[in-house]
Amino acid sequence: MESQLATYLSERLNSDSAVAVANLARIPGGASRETWMFDAAWTKDGDAQTAPFVLRKDPPASLVESDRAVEYAFYRAFQGTDVPVPGMRWLESDSKHLGAPFFIMDRITVGETNVRNISEPRYAGSKAMIGRRMFEVLGAIHSFDWRESEIAKVVTAPTVETAWSEQVSYWEEMIGRNEISPQPIARAGIRWLRNNPPPPAERISVVHGDYRVGNFLYSQEGIHGVLDWEMAHLGDPIEDLAWAVHELWHRELIPRDECIEVYERTSGLAVDRDVLHWWDVFTGIKAQGIWLTGAKSFNDGRSSELILAYAAYMLTNGTDEAILRSLGRGA
Amino acid sequence: MKPEPQKVLFAMAGALAMLAPEVGTAFGQQTSGLSAALSMVLAQEWDRAASRLVDENVAVTGLLERARTVITDEFLHARINDVVDRIPATDLRVSALQLENDELRRLLIEVHAAVDGVEDAAAELLNRLIWDELRESTRRRHMAAVR
Repeated sequence: MESQLATYLSERLNSDSAVAVANLARIPGGASRETWMFDAAWTKDGDAQTAPFVLRKDPPASLVESDRAVEYAFYRAFQGTDVPVPGMRWLESDSKHLGAPFFIMDRITVGETNVRNISEPRYAGSKAMIGRRMFEVLGAIHSFDWRESEIAKVVTAPTVETAWSEQVSYWEEMIGRNEISPQPIARAGIRWLRNNPPPPAERISVVHGDYRVGNFLYSQEGIHGVLDWEMAHLGDPIEDLAWAVHELWHRELIPRDECIEVYERTSGLAVDRDVLHWWDVFTGIKAQGIWLTGAKSFNDGRSSELILAYAAYMLTNGTDEAILRSLGRGA
Repeated sequence: MKPEPQKVLFAMAGALAMLAPEVGTAFGQQTSGLSAALSMVLAQEWDRAASRLVDENVAVTGLLERARTVITDEFLHARINDVVDRIPATDLRVSALQLENDELRRLLIEVHAAVDGVEDAAAELLNRLIWDELRESTRRRHMAAVR
């Protein structure tokens, strides 16, 4: 892939000579898109230039089937705001260059995303700061005025009344389309969501859709970049808050109540605990929808990514248990 | 005499876990680690799958038999009768047991929806028993920790 990338970049960078691509390596994780990092070197007007990049390439199938142009637009919208994101470079829908559509963005070279490392002793002195920062950034995402950004051109906004039902319908359909076996617990959860609808959303905001430790770059200095916007959409901001503090992946960087307090202060929203609970139940349903989508892709032979099979075997049952607990039916 | 598949899979998991640090790229290490974890999971599943499915199919069939006295919808009632009279079959392959399990649990979803929240003593009892079974179904699927 190095030579195809070099050819593509030579045209885009207006370089004097051929672009050299080095250190091309696939980044672990990336269950929705193949994610690669590489360095490029070229000359322009006689000056030597180098830059680190990240490539996000469409796979044949994935945990979530998402639109690369939408993800690209969300990244671009937050450039230059209080929400740190990498700079976007090129969005390419033509498969002729690399065999699949892709986009390329700047690589932030500080920080890591590993979900376990943040619990290591070296983060003992900075973990709480990162936790507070995590919910300040979430508040900033939800305070962002998307109406004047390109987000408004690529996605349709729900109303404050339909934000919840559109999400339930979407994930109910995903489960129906992808379940390999019937899901009585998820179905009971969906019934509960429909029988106990939340009040209208306080506002329609950007919803990252997968905001948790693992999807931002962190170091002992703080948070350097929010990544993985493939499930971003417009909706009820409490959807993101419930996802971020859900038991499936909440790392307790700071106590849950403090997460909410920091979030309320930075977002300007008062969090109704009943609404948070409703979205907590929804989180289990959406998570199950994600695992089932990946499992179906693997089972149908559309993908051989082991992480999809792993998620099906190791995460679906724990998610069912989380749904039961959120419904007050746990052991 | 051949080694039991479960033991072969456990050995494969150990070998893959041992090799993972020697793989040169982060993505390669992740793939080796996932292969090891999946081998471990499959070893557990291979040994218990038939037993789990038989236990669960018996439990769900019992709930559907009870539902025959509670469900009043004629169409749903007829389908319960059909399934309860037909299952279990005699094919003990895991794939056959899984098909029966799918059919039983698909029907259980409909029965649950029909009784959940209904204010009637028999329906409330059946509802409670279904929730108990759903809880138990997650216990049956517990995996030993895989890291």
